[in-house]
Amino acid sequence: MEFGSLLLKGFSVALTPVNLAWLLGGSILGTLFGMIPGFGPSTGIALLLPLCLGLRPETALITMAAIYYGAMFGGSRSSILMNVPGDSAAVASCFDGYPMARNGQAEAALAVSAVASLMGGLFASVAFTLLALPAAQIALRFGPPETFCLMVFSLAATAAVSRENLLKGLISLVLGLMISTVGLDSPSGVSRFTFGLEQLQTGFSFVVVILGIYGFSEVLINLETLELETARPLQLEFRWIRISMAHWRRSIGPILRQSPVGFLIGILPGAGAGIAALRAYRNEKKRSPHPEEFGKGAVEGLAAPEAANNACSIGAMLPMMTLGVPGSGTAAVMLGGLLLCGLQPGPLLFEPQPGIGWAVIASLFLGNFACAVINLPLAGFLVRILSIPPKAFYPFVVAVSFLGLYTVNFSVTDLYLLVGMGICGYLMKKFRIPTGPLVLASVVGSSVESSFRQSLELSGGSPSIFFRSSISSGLLIAAVLALAWPLVVGWWSRWKVSKPAERPGE
Amino acid sequence: MRPNALVGFAAAILGGLYTIQVHRLPKAMAGDASSPVAFPLGLGLLMTTLGILLVFQEARHGLTNLEGVRRPAFRSPSLRIIFKTAATSLLYAFLFERLGFFFSTLGFLCTLQYLMNGRRTWKLNAALALGFTFVAWALFVQLFELPLP
Repeated sequence: MEFGSLLLKGFSVALTPVNLAWLLGGSILGTLFGMIPGFGPSTGIALLLPLCLGLRPETALITMAAIYYGAMFGGSRSSILMNVPGDSAAVASCFDGYPMARNGQAEAALAVSAVASLMGGLFASVAFTLLALPAAQIALRFGPPETFCLMVFSLAATAAVSRENLLKGLISLVLGLMISTVGLDSPSGVSRFTFGLEQLQTGFSFVVVILGIYGFSEVLINLETLELETARPLQLEFRWIRISMAHWRRSIGPILRQSPVGFLIGILPGAGAGIAALRAYRNEKKRSPHPEEFGKGAVEGLAAPEAANNACSIGAMLPMMTLGVPGSGTAAVMLGGLLLCGLQPGPLLFEPQPGIGWAVIASLFLGNFACAVINLPLAGFLVRILSIPPKAFYPFVVAVSFLGLYTVNFSVTDLYLLVGMGICGYLMKKFRIPTGPLVLASVVGSSVESSFRQSLELSGGSPSIFFRSSISSGLLIAAVLALAWPLVVGWWSRWKVSKPAERPGE
Repeated sequence: MRPNALVGFAAAILGGLYTIQVHRLPKAMAGDASSPVAFPLGLGLLMTTLGILLVFQEARHGLTNLEGVRRPAFRSPSLRIIFKTAATSLLYAFLFERLGFFFSTLGFLCTLQYLMNGRRTWKLNAALALGFTFVAWALFVQLFELPLP
């Protein structure tokens, strides 16, 4: 009963005109950010982060969530019409979406992707609703050692999933933690790494890192392809965008099978919507009686990744909102938004002030329908943005980053730091150092340190406190396993490709 | 040199410098004197270790052996526009409070649009820059009541 009344209360908050207006605005913006190649949900949320200061916390969170799943809806538009994914989550949608459009089925492809995203989003919203309260109640039992171990696990898993190199993922992570140590250490009053600069006393704001990495450095990286001819959409005039019964019958199975996969991958720290979509695509191709049709315009090959990536985006919000631990770069940006609003992310969003947590959950249902409306009847209108070359947006992205950042602390020093962080992000991307762990660590860095210090104070300085409870020990073991996993996988794949004669014992 | 080895060297140097700075931090006057130092010290040592491990990992293949390695490509036309964008941004930061929001933002946007979109569409660029500046002012100052210089 309590559960139903909390959800109803959430709907009553989400359905207020202001929240509905921002929900719709966030969905449209997310769809547009998802569509424009080179940008994605992280950039969209990062650019709007400073607006959190002017909005009520629940409105800010509803808007950020809408941008996140809106980008999942929108990402496939450019995949289908241009064979250029809007973001990494939409890569798998190119495989069959673009061939469908080339076969004269652009309307059908747009409709299948929107319906699959809607169904995946609704499934994930229901799962989120069912899991939120139990997860929050478990998290309420966490003390400082458990909180520290949970964050260590989350950070380790994020660094381990780094596709390039585990060590580079960890270097990025430690750099983020180092950045979070700059400024006045409030418990002791000691200034750390400020080099005598008064402006650094308040610390190196995580908003600088977020906007530097997801705003400014994205533009710098995109400037490298400024001279290249940009792809043009296959068509911009559409007939009725709707899903036929034949396409529905072929889509519903993959949607129902791959939505849970996407949701579970979303909950896991580090794994993003791109991984979820590719996994869903491979799963469907493997179980299909006609795998040869995949890559040539198979409806299943479009529906599965679209359902999975949207379910994943909602799944990624679950640990962020209930445990206060973001599982992806985008979730870390949302966590930063929550902190800017003055909220403590975690179980408290659902306990003393249930309005916020449940309002966001209610908005997930409403927002997915809003995105479906935006991406079905209005798709023909919105995709016109694809005919504008992305470079036209770059100056505005840079300007919004600067203006937004200034309004957070009203400090010009932050603007200089933003340029520095942007160049740092550019170099990291050039040297293929993952930036997600850096962003994640800079956002949660101060919480990691404070829970570490509180734990040591509780134990009188003995690190054995991190092994005293089964939860914290289990989380540390999970962190070690997460770090060992890529090494084991690498060793296993090398062993598999080696000649049988070279294997020991053969 | 292999790009990952360069990253390793940079990380080891950064970690080393950070650790030296940790040792120069003042001790806390109240409570545990080492409490503001313990966490950063761990980070500095960890960064140094990770950097050295990366260098060793790359050294197994030969630090200068570039066979099969994807090196980061820095093309000079791209670098030129990236450098100009960064320099314009620094100038914008410098002028933001001195010139005020309106003129500095308008000038900044016009310069960036010239750099990125060329001079052929200068009328459209100027109109967009003006429109954006006005909308940003309305949004931040009027709607959200956030003051801008």
